[in-house]
Amino acid sequence: MKGSSPVDPATQERVRALSQRQLSPEEVRAALAVPLGESEEEESRSLIRWFRRRYPTPGDRLAYARRAYLRWTAARPRP
Amino acid sequence: MQGSEFDETEFFRAIAASGARALLIGRRALVALGIPVLTADYDFWLHTDDIAAFNEAVEPQGLIPTRTPDEARGRGRYVLENDERVDVLVARTVPTVDGVRVSFEDVWSRRRNLEVAVGIAVAVPALDDLILTKRFGGRPKDLEDIRLLEALRKEDA
Repeated sequence: MKGSSPVDPATQERVRALSQRQLSPEEVRAALAVPLGESEEEESRSLIRWFRRRYPTPGDRLAYARRAYLRWTAARPRP
Repeated sequence: MQGSEFDETEFFRAIAASGARALLIGRRALVALGIPVLTADYDFWLHTDDIAAFNEAVEPQGLIPTRTPDEARGRGRYVLENDERVDVLVARTVPTVDGVRVSFEDVWSRRRNLEVAVGIAVAVPALDDLILTKRFGGRPKDLEDIRLLEALRKEDA
């Protein structure tokens, strides 16, 4: 997040609501029918390879996730 | 939030030692498998007969259930919480948003165990089953997670 502006709480809430909204069965079926694109697949696999290389065990990864979440909550603007 | 007081290794050790049939699902399972996503809580799918054992196992961590085992069975889910939050699904079968019925017994029979510390394992669904659990919610973030799991599948092929 270096160099980025803090996101205001109202925008955060709108984004959260959008990502959490319940999709219809038709929307889910349509989304699942879209195959991974080449660049999306490579980007995701590259991220997975980095994460597994940097944090080789499930325990390492879970510990990282806790640290990352605490950092994120500490850094986000308060409502 | 005082998350640092929570001992995650002890949390998983106690669950494993309790004998409760508990599957780690949700984003924490994605993380354990190797996908770096942000998450606040723990999600488990628990056998309906093992609620009391599970609750007893995590009680030393100060996690308090929001419902009695009977209430939880009736509603199909409950939460354990303090500074941490553990969402627990306790249904025998759960439909995906697009109509596939998923049975706990089937998913449990195909589970894989991930070692999270020396001698401590957590059970997670097989990859195809974890993808099915992501279709329970049918939210945009679940669909994003499914795409990441599909990428993981290709990475491990």
